[in-house]
Amino acid sequence: MTPILRRPGRLAAGAVLAVGALSVLRGLLTSGGDLPTLLATHGHTLLVVVGFVAVGELARIRMPSGRETAPLSSASAMSAVFLGQIAGEPTLDIDSGLVVLVVTFGLVLAAAARRSRHRATGTPELAARVVGVSVAAVIARDWGSPTLWELQGLPSASPGVVVLGMGLAAAVGLVTELVLVAALRAERQQTPWSAAVRDEVGEAAPLTLAVLVTGPMVALLAPVLGLLSLPVALVPLALAYTAVRQYIRNRETNRQLIATLSHLTEHGGYTPEHHAERVAQLSVRVGRVLGLGERALRDLEYAALLHDLGQISLLDPIPDGATVLAAPADQRAIAQEGGRIIRRAEIFDDVAAYVEGQTTPYRMVRELGEEVPMAARIIKCANAFDDLSGGTSDPGRVSAAMERIHLGLGYEYDPDVVDALTRVVEDGSVGRVGDRPLVAR
Amino acid sequence: MYITAVAALAVGLAVWSEIAYGLDQFAALGVFILLAALHVVLPDAVVEGQVRVSLSGVILLAGQAIVGPAGVAVIGAVLGISQGKHAPLQRRVFNAAQFSLHGCVGGIAFIVVGGTTSPERLRDVPQIVLGLAVPLLVAVVAQAVANLVALAGVKRVAEGIPMRGQMLAVVRGTGFAYVAHGVIAFIMIVLWVLANLGPVAAAIVLAPLVVAQWIYRQRAEELEGQQRALEVLVAALEAKAPRLGGHSARVAQLSAHMAEHLGLGPQQVTDTRVAGMLHDLGQTSLPTRVARAIDLTDRDHLLDYPERGAAILHDLSFLHGSLDPIRRHRGGLEPSGGLSLPARIVGLADTYDVLTTVGSPSGPVLAPTQAREVVAGAVGDPELLRALDHALARQFEGGSRS
Repeated sequence: MTPILRRPGRLAAGAVLAVGALSVLRGLLTSGGDLPTLLATHGHTLLVVVGFVAVGELARIRMPSGRETAPLSSASAMSAVFLGQIAGEPTLDIDSGLVVLVVTFGLVLAAAARRSRHRATGTPELAARVVGVSVAAVIARDWGSPTLWELQGLPSASPGVVVLGMGLAAAVGLVTELVLVAALRAERQQTPWSAAVRDEVGEAAPLTLAVLVTGPMVALLAPVLGLLSLPVALVPLALAYTAVRQYIRNRETNRQLIATLSHLTEHGGYTPEHHAERVAQLSVRVGRVLGLGERALRDLEYAALLHDLGQISLLDPIPDGATVLAAPADQRAIAQEGGRIIRRAEIFDDVAAYVEGQTTPYRMVRELGEEVPMAARIIKCANAFDDLSGGTSDPGRVSAAMERIHLGLGYEYDPDVVDALTRVVEDGSVGRVGDRPLVAR
Repeated sequence: MYITAVAALAVGLAVWSEIAYGLDQFAALGVFILLAALHVVLPDAVVEGQVRVSLSGVILLAGQAIVGPAGVAVIGAVLGISQGKHAPLQRRVFNAAQFSLHGCVGGIAFIVVGGTTSPERLRDVPQIVLGLAVPLLVAVVAQAVANLVALAGVKRVAEGIPMRGQMLAVVRGTGFAYVAHGVIAFIMIVLWVLANLGPVAAAIVLAPLVVAQWIYRQRAEELEGQQRALEVLVAALEAKAPRLGGHSARVAQLSAHMAEHLGLGPQQVTDTRVAGMLHDLGQTSLPTRVARAIDLTDRDHLLDYPERGAAILHDLSFLHGSLDPIRRHRGGLEPSGGLSLPARIVGLADTYDVLTTVGSPSGPVLAPTQAREVVAGAVGDPELLRALDHALARQFEGGSRS
């Protein structure tokens, strides 16, 4: 376990950046020469596209899993891929390379605006977007004879078939982007790639569907409405976008509310300050390394925040609130009491089950085949680590805590969980997402 | 009676518009009826009593230009009947009549301001704006107004809630959604007719709408989770002090009923209810032995737990309106005491329930009439007392019904 083996470098990030750069280079080589004339003839169209790509990119949203997405920008980019006839403007007869250049320019503008406000630009993710757009553009404008793009202008082609083709091309491009972003995230958090792809696709699917139809919608509206078609076609997507924003806000409120519940025992002096939040953060990171899904991670976080709630009705606080040092029967009673309180709300049944399961030693799973949810095993381990290390990052206490946990390996604790915990504790970036407000540790 | 009147009006208007404007696009009408039936699987997303995304709204609007007002009246009837899986027949008939009516009114408004039912004749952007976009926006407004009047009317007849307040609340919450529906319907008509796409247009346009609807349903689930999490807070309090079992729920309900009776706005009623629910939360931060020994009947005894409760909840922005009544509910109840009305409401509800049900840790509880006399002395505000009597009567009714 030398540090060199632990840090394989940013292979995926490098690869995505390289492919993105290649797409741009190809655009420059194929249509760089025509750029001045094209800018002169299609000035208005290109300006509108660049504007919407850039503004849409600035209106990014952060999904509950921490992934960032810019549906309005993606949809604008996809409409540039398919645009042909435009009422009041010359037909946008450009090759795929120029489409990529235009979109890239819009993204660079947005990145510069973010940089000037000292916010992260997420360059590898932007490169993934460029790659996705170029894949769709190549399919739509270069591939086959006649190409999909030529088909939409032919009176003989059925509009339904053309729409279907555009939808498929956009889907291939967007899925390419999703998979690349999943690879980036899996690498950054050192979590399983399969779980990252599953989360990425699962969480992004609804919005991606809405993005998917917007590109073809713009291309079909343009012969009638001209350049107005882009803002008009973004309205249905904006409705979905607003819905997502409100949903995310509610998710965050609920997390805060549960965190408030975890503070009850702290205010009463039963548990040390921020213990529950540290355990929750550690649990979620371990859960990510073990490849839990987004939904399961949410319930894991809630349960970890509430794992000591049962102490609230204790007549006498236990020393330092450290359940790991309490007698097993007391531990169980506390966990049962916590579960009972949480079960008041039947929709939190899973959370209650995780809280109750946190006291079961791993050997009960191994020897007696008792069903203990993975989330409960994670909380057990994370709680023990925080109780034993006292929540400091002091290397001596951390290694002493890990040593004690290793003593209980296979008997008290699930070896897979301990393994993941070891990785999380050794490397601060493992399983961690972005810049969510963190508790100092 | 009211339902029959609405139904008769709807049928009459549909027949009249058939005579005045005709009905010929039967193929398109068939597609629209299919879409309307889809409504069964995809009910409108309603969050906190406000329509956010409505498939039916878009279908009715898009129908204006494609099948005309008489067609829309038919589609509206199908939409209405397919709404609510377990609704009684009477309700379905009303829905059918009401959807048909407001669809038809929208359709007539659309034509009156220059909208065309043959959009294929529109040639350029100015024509499209004048012959389609603007009339559609007018139709949006007309439909919304007709819908609101019919709905508020039925609530007025059935529940006695005044119409004006209801309508204002709805308009404030749904403005953007209605305009967005108009734009979506506009896109659908342009794609359907001018881009020669036909019914495929519906599939493309409705996809984002279905997505938004799905997301709103998720959000409704989260809001539900929020309510449930508040109940867990109460459960934690009751684990700390078991003698308070049920106290929070009763005070919450009494407070809400009193707030309603005193004419507070919907948000203030909610804040007061939540404050009633969480007014004792601060006790969770006391050592268990202390919390179990507090004598709540002694109002002169100064206690710091209300302040602690407000401090615990301070970071939750959606509870800000409830913090003041939580913090000050044990202040003086007389009007001269300087307390806000919600704080006095919660204080009175709490005092009454403590006297009649919770009692002091050692002593007995009072009978309702005795308790009523004790609080009457402390409050000195006949209006607040009347609100309490009213709320108690409602609680009693509710209790005997269930």
